[in-house]
Amino acid sequence: MRSVFMSLFYKSPFDSLKGHADKVTECARMFSKAVSCHLDGKCEDFDNLTDEVARLESEADAIKRNIRGHMPRGILMPVDKFQFFMYLREQDRVVDGVEEALYWLSYRPEGIEKDIGEDLKFLVEKVVPAIEMLSPLVELATSFFKARFKEERVEIKSLIRDIRQQEHEADHLERELIHKIFTTIKDPLQVFFLIRLVETIGSIADHAQNASDMMRAMVAE
Amino acid sequence: MNVLLAPGADLLVLAFATLVGLYMAANIGANDLANAMGTSVGSGALTMKQAVVASMIFNLAGATLAGGHVTNTIRKGMIDPSLLAGTPENLLLGMFAALLAAGVWVQVATHLGLPVSTTHSIVGAVVGFGVIAVGFGAVSWGKVVAVALSWVVSPLAGGIIGGGIYYLIQKKILSTDYPYRAAQKYAPWLLSVVFCVIILSVIFKGLKNLHLNLGIGKALLIALPVALALGFAGKLILSRFGREGCRWIRGDEEEKVECLFAYLQIMTACYVAFAHGANDVANAVGPLAAIYSVVKTKTVAMQVEVPVWMLAFGGIAVGGGLLAFGSRVMQTIGRKITEITPVRGFSAEFGAATTILICSRLGLPISTTHVLVGSVVGVGVMRGMGVLDLRVIRNIVSSWFITLPFTIVLSMAFYKLFVTFLI
Repeated sequence: MRSVFMSLFYKSPFDSLKGHADKVTECARMFSKAVSCHLDGKCEDFDNLTDEVARLESEADAIKRNIRGHMPRGILMPVDKFQFFMYLREQDRVVDGVEEALYWLSYRPEGIEKDIGEDLKFLVEKVVPAIEMLSPLVELATSFFKARFKEERVEIKSLIRDIRQQEHEADHLERELIHKIFTTIKDPLQVFFLIRLVETIGSIADHAQNASDMMRAMVAE
Repeated sequence: MNVLLAPGADLLVLAFATLVGLYMAANIGANDLANAMGTSVGSGALTMKQAVVASMIFNLAGATLAGGHVTNTIRKGMIDPSLLAGTPENLLLGMFAALLAAGVWVQVATHLGLPVSTTHSIVGAVVGFGVIAVGFGAVSWGKVVAVALSWVVSPLAGGIIGGGIYYLIQKKILSTDYPYRAAQKYAPWLLSVVFCVIILSVIFKGLKNLHLNLGIGKALLIALPVALALGFAGKLILSRFGREGCRWIRGDEEEKVECLFAYLQIMTACYVAFAHGANDVANAVGPLAAIYSVVKTKTVAMQVEVPVWMLAFGGIAVGGGLLAFGSRVMQTIGRKITEITPVRGFSAEFGAATTILICSRLGLPISTTHVLVGSVVGVGVMRGMGVLDLRVIRNIVSSWFITLPFTIVLSMAFYKLFVTFLI
């Protein structure tokens, strides 16, 4: 026996969103591993890690498509559907950014100058925490939309602030690094490679911040 | 005299009538009551077993204490029974046909999982036999229109009241700095309001049996002090045991609030079961009483007595139906709808309970099922429910529309069949 009364309750897309965010977190860890491995030189694991990120990206993509494909008209959500999709898009772009950065890095297997390499590692260390905060953000939001306790809303806002702060610092570092690249490196090919790499890594933090901005809009009162 | 009314046939007719009444009652339990209690199981306020036991007890109590001991011979006065005065056997067969047709429809709806109104089913079935037995003009079509109004009034009223209650709870309790402290502050008042609604319903419904015709003013005069006293008692209990949170849960602030509302929700759930017993058990028992009266007196009365044992029988049969067929529905509801939290469940159920009281007092035709669906959606619109599939509403509403035509036609067919073979 079925109950239509029951089918009135649609499966919450927030569960899937959490799954997507978990993939993002996993990606972030792989990313930081892969970058330090590559920059330290003599890295044998780099290709494996890149493959792993590519696999995670396609899994995250499948989750994204699944969420989008099962949100027909006539579904009443506790948040604005448009904002929800915007959030999902930005969170997905984080994974895309990670994948792109690793691919770009792989085009220059011979390694990067030691000094710049250390700065790059530092940049990644700023970017990765911002990405890793997305998963707890989604988890908190899922709980918040169940009962709308003020306390949880405050926690969400503070997480969003932290992400913004990380992005801000990463941004600052990105600008300094670009300046340094232009002043210290003479080989144009190397400059192009490094600038693009720094910009790609920086954009990952941008997307994490865009996602958190959307979350801020969703919990707005 | 017809063979059906011959003295020797009495027992056989009554036995058959009881069987058909049982069938209808069991279907009512499986469809209606399962959905009414489902939200409590979904929120975890009650376990499956507790929900079944509680709804059986309160449904039975509602049927015997507050059920209509006197009912119109023809449910809701759809037809003037005096038109059938010369042919009591037609009324007898008509009631058989109506019970059977309504029972079949409710069973079909339950099988398809559609929450339909059992009242509308029986009303449609009675109209169906009336059209054939007496004629098209005999039906009070104005009353049929009033029933149809319920399709709009019930969900709308339920939605507005349920959504409003959720909004208030959200503003005054959930979105404050210390939700549990706020909950402790407002819970006694909420408790008073809940008790007030319950007491008023019992006065208006139950005391009818004592032939006390209390106006709203007098009823309020009784209900308000009692409700306030009970709310105060709740406050005392809360300050005695609730300082650390709910007695059994010592979790964080939020868990304690949810736990508190779980208790409130259990009360409203029991009330919904009670109201169901008072209103809807009559859908099975009313026609049965009419048959009983025809067999006893061999005449057609305007109104018939419904003996207490018959109401109790109906209440038990409805509970049995819930146990036998409705438990699976409730189990799935409980397991799958994790989106219902005690606060949401309380808002929806209390909204439904209040709507039932207000609308039936105003004489607006409403259906428990329709109100409940409306108030769940109302809480959802206030962004209180998780994710609602509004496309399902179309199925539900169309099942409400189909109820009347389907039962009218089916009961016509049964009646024609019975008349051909038995008269």
